[in-house]
Amino acid sequence: MSEKSLVGEMHQVQLAIELIELGARLQVLESETELSRGRLIRLYKEVRGMSPPKGMLPFSTDWFITWLPNIHSSLFYSFYRQLTGEQGCSRMEGFVKSYRLYLEQIALDGAEPVLGLTRAWTLVRFFESEMFELSECTSCHGHFVNHAHTPSQRFVCGICQPPSRAGKTRKRQSAVSEEGRRSGGRRQAVGA
Amino acid sequence: MKIDSVLDEIQDINLTYLLLAQRLLKEDYATAMFRLKIDQAMAEVLISLSAKQLSQMARTNQLLFRLHFDDADQVTKLTNNKREQGLGQTHAALLMASCAN
Repeated sequence: MSEKSLVGEMHQVQLAIELIELGARLQVLESETELSRGRLIRLYKEVRGMSPPKGMLPFSTDWFITWLPNIHSSLFYSFYRQLTGEQGCSRMEGFVKSYRLYLEQIALDGAEPVLGLTRAWTLVRFFESEMFELSECTSCHGHFVNHAHTPSQRFVCGICQPPSRAGKTRKRQSAVSEEGRRSGGRRQAVGA
Repeated sequence: MKIDSVLDEIQDINLTYLLLAQRLLKEDYATAMFRLKIDQAMAEVLISLSAKQLSQMARTNQLLFRLHFDDADQVTKLTNNKREQGLGQTHAALLMASCAN
């Protein structure tokens, strides 16, 4: 049996806390740290004040290709690629830093972070197993998440060419809450 | 008179830039290099400069840093997207991150 390094273990606990704070599911912690499941559950309860959610992780690649998720995923992944590539961050260090950069940018835009941390982690894993690659938009030259081996000579991204119904639901929602605001008392019922 | 105030502004913004760069680098090296679009060697030099050296560097009639976008076409597309869905800033961030060298 190799003796565990205390400092090493402390780093692992720190990483786990950081990931839990950012919204990681237990499966992420189990694969990225060497801490036991029991300790991770205790840590989760201490940090979040509740038991970790049960159930499987989302495993579909299709979600990342749908309109808004694709834009958010591409934003996050371009941060991740820069930090782990150009800036020489290690995998998990780059992951946490780029996820923070993503949250920061989305907050600046006043938008909801569509890409949760666990999804972001799944995205990185999909790239690592070569299920995804980046396609360059022929219009804006940005790089966007795409299924691997997709012909991309004529690829145009979802910002340059949004699908016809893109953003409709969000607009409708804000229109509804606007109405609710005008009618005064009923706002709370609609706003949720 | 007018030219003087422009020169003042350039020197101000140069110094502000250098000070901000140092602060960012001290806080989080890798993230700062990404935000500033500079490499390791440049980061090491910038962080090592003394206050006197910083103000020397700032005192010039040209800007110390340049626009990150090289492609005018890209900027046009960013700012004149007719079908924009409120994603302008996100798009700009994405392009700067994905096309950085």
